[in-house]
Amino acid sequence: MNKQLSLRDFSLFIAIIAIWTFFAIISPSYIGARNLSMLSIEMSTTAVAALGVLLIIVCGHIDLAIGSGIGLFGGLAAVLTTLYGWPAPAAMFLSLIAGIATWTCMGALIVSQRIPAFIITLGGLLVFKGVFWKVINTSTVPVNLGGESNLYSVLTTYYLPSVYGYLLATGVTVAIAFAALKSRSSRKRHHFEVEEPETAFYKFMLKAIGLFIAVTVLNMYRGVPLSGVILGATAVGIYVLTQHMAFGRYLYAIGGNEDAAMVSGVPVRRTTIMAFSIAGGLVALTGFLQTSYAGSSTTSVGDLMELDAIAACVIGGVSLKGGRGTVMGVMAGALIMASLLNGLTLISAPPEIKFITRGIVLALAVWMDVRLNRK
Amino acid sequence: MSLDLVLKAEGITKTFPGVKALEDVSFDLRRGEVHSLCGENGAGKSTLIKTLSGIWNFGTYEGSFSVDGKKARFGGIADAEAAGLAVIYQELALVNEMTVAENIYLGHEPTRFGFVDWDKMYKDAAALLDHFGIEIDPAERVGNLGVGKQQLVEIVKALKKESHILILDEPTAALTEREVTILLKIIREIKGRGIACIYITHKLDEVFAISDRITVLRDGKTITTVNASESSKAEVIRHMVGRNIDELFPYVKTKSGDCLLEARNISVENDEGKMVVRDVSFQVARGEVLGFGGLMGAGRSELLMNVIGAFGKRISGEVTLKGEPFAPRTPQGAIEKGLVMVTEDRKRYGLVLEQSNGFNLSLSSLAGITASSGLVEVNREVRRNEAIASQLQVKAPSLETITETLSGGNQQKIVIGKALLCEPDIIFLDEPTRGIDVGAKLEVYELVNALKSEGKAIVLVSSEMPELMGLSDRIIMLSEGAVGGEFDREDFSQEALLAAAISASVDTPSGDTYE
Repeated sequence: MNKQLSLRDFSLFIAIIAIWTFFAIISPSYIGARNLSMLSIEMSTTAVAALGVLLIIVCGHIDLAIGSGIGLFGGLAAVLTTLYGWPAPAAMFLSLIAGIATWTCMGALIVSQRIPAFIITLGGLLVFKGVFWKVINTSTVPVNLGGESNLYSVLTTYYLPSVYGYLLATGVTVAIAFAALKSRSSRKRHHFEVEEPETAFYKFMLKAIGLFIAVTVLNMYRGVPLSGVILGATAVGIYVLTQHMAFGRYLYAIGGNEDAAMVSGVPVRRTTIMAFSIAGGLVALTGFLQTSYAGSSTTSVGDLMELDAIAACVIGGVSLKGGRGTVMGVMAGALIMASLLNGLTLISAPPEIKFITRGIVLALAVWMDVRLNRK
Repeated sequence: MSLDLVLKAEGITKTFPGVKALEDVSFDLRRGEVHSLCGENGAGKSTLIKTLSGIWNFGTYEGSFSVDGKKARFGGIADAEAAGLAVIYQELALVNEMTVAENIYLGHEPTRFGFVDWDKMYKDAAALLDHFGIEIDPAERVGNLGVGKQQLVEIVKALKKESHILILDEPTAALTEREVTILLKIIREIKGRGIACIYITHKLDEVFAISDRITVLRDGKTITTVNASESSKAEVIRHMVGRNIDELFPYVKTKSGDCLLEARNISVENDEGKMVVRDVSFQVARGEVLGFGGLMGAGRSELLMNVIGAFGKRISGEVTLKGEPFAPRTPQGAIEKGLVMVTEDRKRYGLVLEQSNGFNLSLSSLAGITASSGLVEVNREVRRNEAIASQLQVKAPSLETITETLSGGNQQKIVIGKALLCEPDIIFLDEPTRGIDVGAKLEVYELVNALKSEGKAIVLVSSEMPELMGLSDRIIMLSEGAVGGEFDREDFSQEALLAAAISASVDTPSGDTYE
């Protein structure tokens, strides 16, 4: 089990290096500070959506409506802000609530009527797309008027001053060290297996150095983007939810064996609906990030993002059968997807090539999932 | 060797890890006879059938058997079929969406120039059905037929392969009286054509209605083979149970306290709308073990699963727990009120196998170790899990070991541990010792007695008579979903209990219609 996981982790690492090398050779500016900064913003949109769908896939369902939802809720907030003159925070808040409510309804339909999530969310994909176009009147609605920035527009245009970036990195490093030491001592006390001190130290150093290099590179451009911070906070939240709360255990139990979970007293329905609710919130959040990054809401915002999010999950080791998957894996998967898409855009690959690449990557990832599951 | 003998098995021994399922079993089958296999659950009937039909490959068992005088070395079901054996299981292997003819010729479709020859298929199927006197339209969708007719289609499908040995494993379990009558008529008819049948059923009426000879298995051994005409139901029952209760069961007498759970007139329908529990009432008190016995499919698990809110539709009846009305919609509700169930099928209903022991142990009782912040308190969780794992003597490297890698007995202890961590007052134990070795069984028995002494109320379902009689204070026998008899400890006898278990089929006047 452990060996298999590490094989997977290792292959993810190799994949990232290979993708980066490939694009860096074709276009050296790929690994320039500016592009890596763009890449980090693009990754944060894919990753936030993927973290939402992680919850849904772990409990054994699927969500195909993410892309349309991203467009719809980003568009709704843009329309309220720009056309109706709402303050951006209020517009985004309302849109967020709408996202949570819509996804909760889908979850409730799935568990109460026993309709497969595939069908409900496939319907959602079409319905929300239609509603989205209706909301923006199939036109282009900017997130802010006349270059006047608001909370909505700064989501992807604000960067932390470099000092704050380093402070943040220091804080995160201390937190990682603290958490690692605490978990280590408690595992020792309970006589669980612990890593060799050297291994643990090297792992920690690797993380810390990686973090500081990333911040340094980002500071060479404009600093750590706000959307990166949002992603970090979301990832920590989902991590705590899945690993340290009863809700998370229930998700894995339902995905692993729904009958056993039910008989064991797991609130199967409530947990499943909750997973959809949280995913809905994250879909809306992704909508804000994506629309803000595009500068305005247009009919193509969110297109195919459900597939990017699902691919990120599967690449990161989330089992489509449910019951297995981690936040770190999804983050790595999202980085791979974002790196690919960003690189293809950078080398001006025509859209048809982008489609083909996305499709092949998705199929490859699922193939790998099936192969690893069979063992 | 007499030419009449189509199958002869000698000294068959089949061992599973820790269990001898068959021990030196001998069995023979004559041309054109119906030979019934009788025995309690776990007596070894299924294992014998699986050996004869090639599911257990040649070499995985000791001893040997021959078909038509040729020594059988089956490497799989296909070999057995080629030798002329066909097995019809209780669960049907038909494709509901296809027609009768399509099912009969599935995998052997007649072709012309590479295309399926539909005309020939339907003509042949009609001829075949006609041949056996079965009135079924070959163009009918199988899903539209009743279970009985489906069973007949299954038989025709098996016989089409020109088998001359037909093994029927509980073929009538799901059939109505009328369908049983038709089935038995057909068996008599094919027997007249020289086809030999091995017939397995719990229903002794059928056994005597159809058999030429009867072989009784018990604890994996052949007890006797008798001619049906010279035997009686009573004799067969005696052979089936004929053993003394082992000293395995250290019965503890406790003073039972107040009644904790009372169920009155419970009737339950399953998802297909079939009545599986009919008008059953029971109660269980503190410090008491109530046993539920019966044959497979008697409705015991269904009854208990319905009480905890996990199964079927309650048609009638009500339950009170500690004097208050009790109608949980999910097992979660039952656990909150102090009632927890250890289910029969631990792989399906008990465990998330791909997760760790600690994960599984905690699953039902996370609420109790969740801090006000919403975080699960890891230290408390581990301490608690360690305590219960050592109390139950779970043999595993660590709480982080993946549960799938444990032996059956240790997996079962994890399921029981999970239930105990809910701190229940009432525990339903459904076949708690199925598929685990003798040592682990003993530990489960001791645990049941210990829980009883602590004042818990226990409802025990078991298909093993000695276990049921050894542990229970009272026993209710269910028979086809209804109460077949209720016994206090001083009235326990295997004969009486077994008679109650098959009472429904003994008592019904329909027994005559078989003749």
